[in-house]
Amino acid sequence: MSAWLGFFKKEWTESIKSYKLLLTILIFSVLGILNPFTAKITPAIMENFMPEGTVLNLPEPTALDSWLQFYKNFPQMGLFIFILLFSTMMSKELEKGTLVILLTKGLRRSTVITAKFATGFSYWTLAFMLTFIITYSYTEFYWDQTIVQHVFLAAGCVYVFGLLLFTITLWGNTYFASAYGGLLVTVIAVITLFIIAIFPETASWNPLQLLTSPPQMLTGEVALKEMRTPCIVAISALFVFLLATILHFNKKRL
Amino acid sequence: MNTDLELLIEYLPFIIPLVLLQFGLAIFSVIHVIRHPHYRFGNQVMWLLIVLFIQFIGPLIYFIAGRGDEDGRVHS
Repeated sequence: MSAWLGFFKKEWTESIKSYKLLLTILIFSVLGILNPFTAKITPAIMENFMPEGTVLNLPEPTALDSWLQFYKNFPQMGLFIFILLFSTMMSKELEKGTLVILLTKGLRRSTVITAKFATGFSYWTLAFMLTFIITYSYTEFYWDQTIVQHVFLAAGCVYVFGLLLFTITLWGNTYFASAYGGLLVTVIAVITLFIIAIFPETASWNPLQLLTSPPQMLTGEVALKEMRTPCIVAISALFVFLLATILHFNKKRL
Repeated sequence: MNTDLELLIEYLPFIIPLVLLQFGLAIFSVIHVIRHPHYRFGNQVMWLLIVLFIQFIGPLIYFIAGRGDEDGRVHS
């Protein structure tokens, strides 16, 4: 256990020294502020840019608009930036051969993977909590939040999906031992999910639902229990990928 | 003009933290670019321009891809 904690600490030190903590905190706070800001300023901008005399009937922005911005920005920008930041976790060490010394000193190989996963897990939690709390506070301050339903659970869906994507990246990163490998595998996985989603009957289990349904959950169009199967599928896929990473790394030649 | 000022005050709770974060990150990155003059590719002027004029994405690209190693070795 102390070896695990030691390696986990090393991962954290590394991420702080390579400015990942700083970038995560800054970028995800900005994302959090931008969501309600965009929702609030869009009608004002539209009015200013329309030609004189045009009568516009723009409804006042509501809490729902702010949350819609959250579900538009966070999965796209946020998830993309996060994957980009942490896509070199394994490949960097494999390319430089820095792991060899530790492993010959008796560090278990599974420790490496689980500690790296735990680091990514905590970073994703941090990033998600930052954006969510900031968006939530601004929305609470400006609008009446009683009109949106299941705010926390809908956001939790995006959180689970992000974790799944991170695990897939970690697997691709370990398997191909290059930064591009990890990114490519993630992109292919997302495209596959989108292709599967073309068939409407797959909507009951496709993990992509975790990303596309939350806006409808807020308005109550999608019931909570419809999300149960996609969520279970996503979490099981996460564990399968994590296990596959550990199994593959156990046999990998360094 | 009056309405513009009112508009500005209304959005001040958004603008102040955004501006602070943005300038903070830009200044931090500029200092880093100047004090560590070794990059994986490109030169100092290019990175200064990127960091200063591409908001948020510029510093991100610099710290992920452009920053050389701490010991100053330049990787090809």
